Amino acid sequence: MNAAAEAAGLATGDLLADARAKAEFLQVRDADPAADDAALRRLALWATRYTPTASPLCRDLWNEDNGADGFFLDITGSAHLFGGEEKLLADLAARLQKNFGLSARLAVAATPGAAWALSRFHQTPLFVLPSGQEATALAPLPIAALRLKPETRSVLRRLGFKTVGSLLDKPRAPFAARFPTELLRRVDQALGRIDEPLVPVVAPPVYHALRYLIEPIFTHDAIIAHANRLMQTLVHVLTRDDVGARALRLCLYNVDGAVETIDIGLTLPTRNVSHVARLIELKLEALAATCDAGFGFEAIGLAVTCAEPMPARQTELTPSHPSPASGGGSGWGDGDRTERCAALIDALRQRLGPHSVRRFAPEASHLPERAEVLPPIDGEATAWPEAEQNPRPLLLLPHAEPAEDVTALVPDGPPRRFSWRGVTYDITGAQGPERIAGEWWRHREPKPTRDYYLVEDSAGHRFWLFREGLYGRETAQAQWFVHGLFA
Amino acid sequence: MSFAQPNPAPIAALAHDRAAVMAELRRLIPRMGEQRKPLPFGLAAIDSHLPDGGLACGALHEVVPAAEGCVAAAFGFIAAVLARLAYPLLFVMPAYGLRPYRPHGRLHGHGLNALGLDPARLILVETTHRKETLWAMEEAVRSAVPAAVVGLIDTLDLKTSQRLHLAATEAGLPVFLLRPAPTLESSAAATRWRIGTAKAARDRFGLVTQPRWHLQLERCRNGRPGQWVVEYDHVAHRFSLAAALADFSRVRGAGEKSIKQAS
Repeated sequence: MNAAAEAAGLATGDLLADARAKAEFLQVRDADPAADDAALRRLALWATRYTPTASPLCRDLWNEDNGADGFFLDITGSAHLFGGEEKLLADLAARLQKNFGLSARLAVAATPGAAWALSRFHQTPLFVLPSGQEATALAPLPIAALRLKPETRSVLRRLGFKTVGSLLDKPRAPFAARFPTELLRRVDQALGRIDEPLVPVVAPPVYHALRYLIEPIFTHDAIIAHANRLMQTLVHVLTRDDVGARALRLCLYNVDGAVETIDIGLTLPTRNVSHVARLIELKLEALAATCDAGFGFEAIGLAVTCAEPMPARQTELTPSHPSPASGGGSGWGDGDRTERCAALIDALRQRLGPHSVRRFAPEASHLPERAEVLPPIDGEATAWPEAEQNPRPLLLLPHAEPAEDVTALVPDGPPRRFSWRGVTYDITGAQGPERIAGEWWRHREPKPTRDYYLVEDSAGHRFWLFREGLYGRETAQAQWFVHGLFA
Repeated sequence: MSFAQPNPAPIAALAHDRAAVMAELRRLIPRMGEQRKPLPFGLAAIDSHLPDGGLACGALHEVVPAAEGCVAAAFGFIAAVLARLAYPLLFVMPAYGLRPYRPHGRLHGHGLNALGLDPARLILVETTHRKETLWAMEEAVRSAVPAAVVGLIDTLDLKTSQRLHLAATEAGLPVFLLRPAPTLESSAAATRWRIGTAKAARDRFGLVTQPRWHLQLERCRNGRPGQWVVEYDHVAHRFSLAAALADFSRVRGAGEKSIKQAS
């Protein structure tokens, strides 16, 4: 319902026929809770320009019965940045009106419960409640201000409780017996007797720096320059606490209310300003096609979302371009090399995607296709075991491909000739078999046993073939497959 | 014009003494020789064909499989050359599933291990198109972190190869390009190797002991082309010539005989 509908005398809960009678040109749409939630989430994301902890009253986050129509901001410690709570409220209301066309009712209180009640039921749309006066402020408000279920509300109304004040001075025991825990919990939450944690829309950062710009910025260079300065401010704090950033989030607040977030993951904790700036630059380049500056960005925030301990080290004296090492024995410390390696991996990852940089890791399995994984690089490499005695191919086909027209002298022996991908190979030497049984503990239906052979054809091509199934026990007609190519 | 001009007096004084000038120059260009130390094969027959007696660090090298079926051999040759290097190696290759690379399968860690290259030292970078591959290679080369960079590239114009070669020269890293066989344009690479398969070395029980490759040095700047059949010892990381190298047919015949004896 918009302001025009309210002016025509409509109210939530009216029947559609009645509403049509009251306002002739009424436009009706089905309610779309998911879209409402998404819009509210975007709004809360925008509101992170005031404080990192913004909590929209979405259904999946709060499970409220009393309307998903607002958000909580935890402005502890951030109000002074705007010149006090009143100024912050005024700024927020003005921006909501200007950017989104929303006329908001805002309240500041020491508890989320009291703020919720005051924002809805206090006469003035912008209201700041000094700490400690929750009880007196809430007393004249109706029972609905306590965020109760409709059933509880109607029972209380029948019992004659109209205002919050009439509940507050009554003994607790009868209420505890008569009502579910909800009522007393809501009262305690509103008065600050028990804590009510907020569910933030994005994980609150560990460290956070935000900069408001006088003029909106558009260009990549400007964004990077500002991000650079934000990182410089963060570095002081990070150095003080002996930690480095493992994950960063850059938030770009558009003038028209949209928020662009850029997440940056790092392989090793870092405090290096130029490295972070470079990663942001790479990401911006990759985003250039989709990210639209629109009217420009009016604020820019950089947050450390994950920090890890990082002992202080002297970095300034090491030269920027040390000699590359060929064949060992370089003069530079291992720490520096690890760090530069991590920087390279970060850069590649920013541009090519988080899963693009991988490393081989061994798996405890005899099946060749399961014997290794390629996880994205994270931390130290797992050590590989000694090379096996049995031959292993350099190139492994992802799926074993059937070999056709296989001739073998004896059914159990190695093949003498086979064709694969339309080419027939005459085998001059074979080695094997290496018998690898199926992993019966993983499949209910046991997989057939494989007999692997290394075969070499007359031109020197070396293949890894296997025969699936044991004659007599597992199969009557064994199948041959090509599984790998040797160097 | 006074800036950047060295003070002429000391140079003139030193000009009498050639050795002193050389020493002064060596001091001014630190670590130059050390950086550019080439990678020798340890085989006089091959090293004598290459400038400075080895594969130049700080240069682009092209490795081409001689035929469609020799891709594994080309990979093996690169792995064998790199196995002696100590620091992380970077492989840039198109993500599996891109058409031109689909038939060859993917690198197998245990297979690398069997060739004496510790897979844990390998960093694999997967790209989705050629431009990304080139970017990733250049980025890695310029950072000078890995000991060598290997990339799979299908087509490459002269200018791009010059750019890669220049980056490799500045960083002093060997850069290897694995090219599919049919398409070969002119490029700025210092060497071009054509790798073919050859019958493996076998012991008296007929078991494969060492892979053999037919190497053809097709182009070599400041060097001479040539061809050899080499075998590679993955334990000692050493190349050696396979029997009588000049007569390729005899090598082939010898291999067949030994297999027949074994079987």
